Amino acid sequence: MPEQIEFDAVVVGAGPAGASAALALARAGRSVVLVERGPFPGSKNVYGGVVYGRVLDDIVPNWWEEVPVERWVVRRSTMMMTGTQSLSVDFRSQAWGSAPYNGMTTLRCHFDAWLAGKATDAGARLVTSTVATGLIRDSAGRVVGVRTDRDGAELRAPVVIACDGVNSFLAKEAGLLPRAEASHHTLGVKEVLDLPPGAINERFGVQDHEGVDMEILGCTRGIPGGGFLYTNADTVSIGVVVSLPELAASGVRPEALIADLKAHPTIAPLLAGSTLREYGAHLIPEGGYDTMPVLAADGLLIAGDAGAMTLAAGLWLEGVNFAIGSGYAAGRAVDRALSKGDCTAKGLASYRADLEGQFVLADHKRLRKAPSLVLSERVQQRYPGLICDLAEGMFTVTNPTPKAGALALTRQVAARHGVKLRQLAGDTLRGLRIFG
Amino acid sequence: MVCLRITDLRPAVDPLVGTVTRDRLGVGLTPADGAALEHALRIADAWSGRVVVVCVGPESVEPVLRDVVALGVSVVRVPLGDEGDGHRYVAELVEDERALARTLVAAIAPFGRPDLVLCGDRSADRGTGAVPAYLAHELGASQALGLVSVVAESALDGAPWTLLVERRLDGGWRERLRVSLPAVCSVEGAGVRLRRASLSGALAATDPTPAAGSTGTTSAAVASAANPITAGPGSIHVGPTRPFTPRTRILAAPADPDPRVRLLELTGALVAHDPPTVLHPADASEAADLLLAFLSRHGYMDEIPGATRPSPVDGDVEIDGDGQAR
Amino acid sequence: MSAVMPGAGKWDGISFAQRMATVDFRIGARAHIAVDSDICRSCTTKACVSACPANLFAPTADGGILFNYEECFECGTCYMVCNSEGAITWTYPDGGHGVVFHHG
Ligand SMILES: Cc1cc2nc3c(=O)[nH]c(=O)nc-3n(C[C@H](O)[C@H](O)[C@H](O)COP(=O)(O)OP(=O)(O)OC[C@H]3O[C@@H](n4cnc5c(N)ncnc54)[C@H](O)[C@@H]3O)c2cc1C
Ligand code: SF4
Ligand code: SF4
Repeated sequence: MPEQIEFDAVVVGAGPAGASAALALARAGRSVVLVERGPFPGSKNVYGGVVYGRVLDDIVPNWWEEVPVERWVVRRSTMMMTGTQSLSVDFRSQAWGSAPYNGMTTLRCHFDAWLAGKATDAGARLVTSTVATGLIRDSAGRVVGVRTDRDGAELRAPVVIACDGVNSFLAKEAGLLPRAEASHHTLGVKEVLDLPPGAINERFGVQDHEGVDMEILGCTRGIPGGGFLYTNADTVSIGVVVSLPELAASGVRPEALIADLKAHPTIAPLLAGSTLREYGAHLIPEGGYDTMPVLAADGLLIAGDAGAMTLAAGLWLEGVNFAIGSGYAAGRAVDRALSKGDCTAKGLASYRADLEGQFVLADHKRLRKAPSLVLSERVQQRYPGLICDLAEGMFTVTNPTPKAGALALTRQVAARHGVKLRQLAGDTLRGLRIFG
Repeated sequence: MVCLRITDLRPAVDPLVGTVTRDRLGVGLTPADGAALEHALRIADAWSGRVVVVCVGPESVEPVLRDVVALGVSVVRVPLGDEGDGHRYVAELVEDERALARTLVAAIAPFGRPDLVLCGDRSADRGTGAVPAYLAHELGASQALGLVSVVAESALDGAPWTLLVERRLDGGWRERLRVSLPAVCSVEGAGVRLRRASLSGALAATDPTPAAGSTGTTSAAVASAANPITAGPGSIHVGPTRPFTPRTRILAAPADPDPRVRLLELTGALVAHDPPTVLHPADASEAADLLLAFLSRHGYMDEIPGATRPSPVDGDVEIDGDGQAR
Repeated sequence: MSAVMPGAGKWDGISFAQRMATVDFRIGARAHIAVDSDICRSCTTKACVSACPANLFAPTADGGILFNYEECFECGTCYMVCNSEGAITWTYPDGGHGVVFHHG
């Protein structure tokens, strides 16, 4: 019988969800251990690059004074492209460039380590280089701890919070997640490229410490997904996010899609002369609200990507803020359950209620139909070209032929792309309903 | 005592000027340092001795040291003067291995004179492997460097402890030495891998009470210090032997009066080379046969074990021709 | 979009090996992913081959798969796209081993 080490709670995974859960519990005076399989928090994690900080306001007051930041995002651009055209909606706000800030680019090895540091400062114990290999259950089937891949002992607690990310083997073991559901996942591949800060400032039209966030549609050879480009201090992150089953069916190599994007006439000049610093890949749970698993079982809560909480719907690619929000809520729910002495699914139910009440589930609920719209065939394969052609038609000067009227032009271009005006109007309405 | 050099395992070296850039996220133990620590733990078990780990390095190496503390050994970290800049931290010390060796010896003085010092053979970031030699000099100990195995010999009653060590030589040969204490041994990152700490060890190492304090002394769980090892006269016993020298191939010097032609001949710059042979063997044994055939065709095979073998030597040194290639 | 180039070729003048050399892998002694080549022989999609971002699945002449675990991102793509139950045994590497991202 291995030695049993007792805690009030075991949190698995020192990503943003796990660190926040441990922080909430440690602040409530609970003994909590945070188990991370990498050698340091963030070492296993790859994301695009922007963390939206509002969620931190209540958790770490004045977080912006201490958070490891690359650049503060002041420009956000949404781009539609075809092989030779692009159309962007570019928004800039200098208000985003000063406290309390809207979003920042940061790297996970720094950000996750910082957040986990908050938890250990508050008294949580962080054990790195340790994989949680399975759940321990009592005779009634309740989760009472985790086994790890280190010898000699197991971790026991009335509650385990699984914050083990997108592949969550703990949620799978508990029967809350299906073993492999490719259609609810996208693969993100990313390149980090060296680029001198001066070149970044010049090419992206920003000052030192200011950054740009670009989301791109139409750059994935028709495979449902999108691209992104973010500026860091002296590097840029560029990558694509594509639907798994369709990537597999296409036979296209993921890094080839990044190469396409980098070679696009709009993007290439931004990156000229840069060199590859690091290549990486990670999955994203992208099914949205409708595919979210049950979030609580007896003695178990799941938070963050383990609970499929990334909001990834074309215009948005947000997961860190949802992970922090859900992790912190999970920590507080466990504290309440411990006080009541009821750590069954029922005792932990305040977690779900809390999430429904705040942005975490409210946003997901509102945008529940977004993934299917944004990843639909028309939006992915036809609209980027249609919209670019429309713009080209409007802006190309054709004298002496008189300019075509907007409606006629739309009808013409839509027909060329095999889209009926009725469908276009319908999708616009759907989009307005979902996003508006 | 084990000396660890914790540093970026993949330092970036500027190809033009040779500047080494270290990334603090890359810090870790080299396989060689890991092997040194593993050997030390095994020997300490055999001798009921204790292991003290000493490391000169900045604060950024603490996470790695915490993993070491988790193994239940004492750890001493000698902080570096300027800890601000993680990138160029040990520049000066790497330049001066002798100073580094002195620093290490001074750091463990409070623990008493070590009977055995183990190190990795060289550090990942431009290491030369000279530190163990300097350490042996500082401690007046015998040295055996670049070993692939270090085994504690069970001492007969009263006899001094010794180590049986093995080192790789050219051509797949091995040299086996018996080393008496005190000694400094450096090991290659081969043969053994560092064990993983138990969960309780790992948890104990996260105890918020200072892990590796700024003065540098930590003792998380100190193994039994019961058995002070009696040191024999410090030397490596080496019997009469002749060194192993691979045969030299003698080539005639180019004779042409034109220096350019001589140079071309020496460098072989304009000589047409055989294109590489690409084979697709079906299985491992066929692949091995093809390789052996290639080697013998090119005259490498007459040195194979059994063919011509240096006469066995007497004394404690044995040259083993079993060509255990790893 | 530019011409479709199948396979893991050279993009932007760097080879796939150079691309992977930018990543820090702390290779563990245990192979954390195992592929049962016998099952793969009857697989018609070979989805893992093109989808694995680290390009670790190499088809062999006899229709099977040769897999090397060392330079793996631990992303999970392969077991998700694989259509044959049991072909891939997927675990995380032992704690502290495997990929370490410095710019994730
Ligand atoms: C390509 C890409 C781009 C993205 N872009 C953005 C963006 O720009 N902005 C944004 O907000 N979000 C983005 N996201 C989403 C975001 O990365 C995730 O939503 C977020 O990381 C989820 O946090 P988490 O704590 O739930 O999980 P993770 O960050 O995945 O953390 C899980 C942790 O658990 C550890 N772990 C897993 N299993 C075990 C185990 N068994 N034992 C011990 N430890 C374990 C892992 O090592 C890891 O540290 C992106 C994601 C991807 C893939
Ligand atoms: S691993 Fe799966 S997808 Fe790949 S060849 Fe084998 S069976 Fe097919
Ligand atoms: S986990 Fe990802 S990187 Fe590793 S083999 Fe599978 S697909 Fe490739």
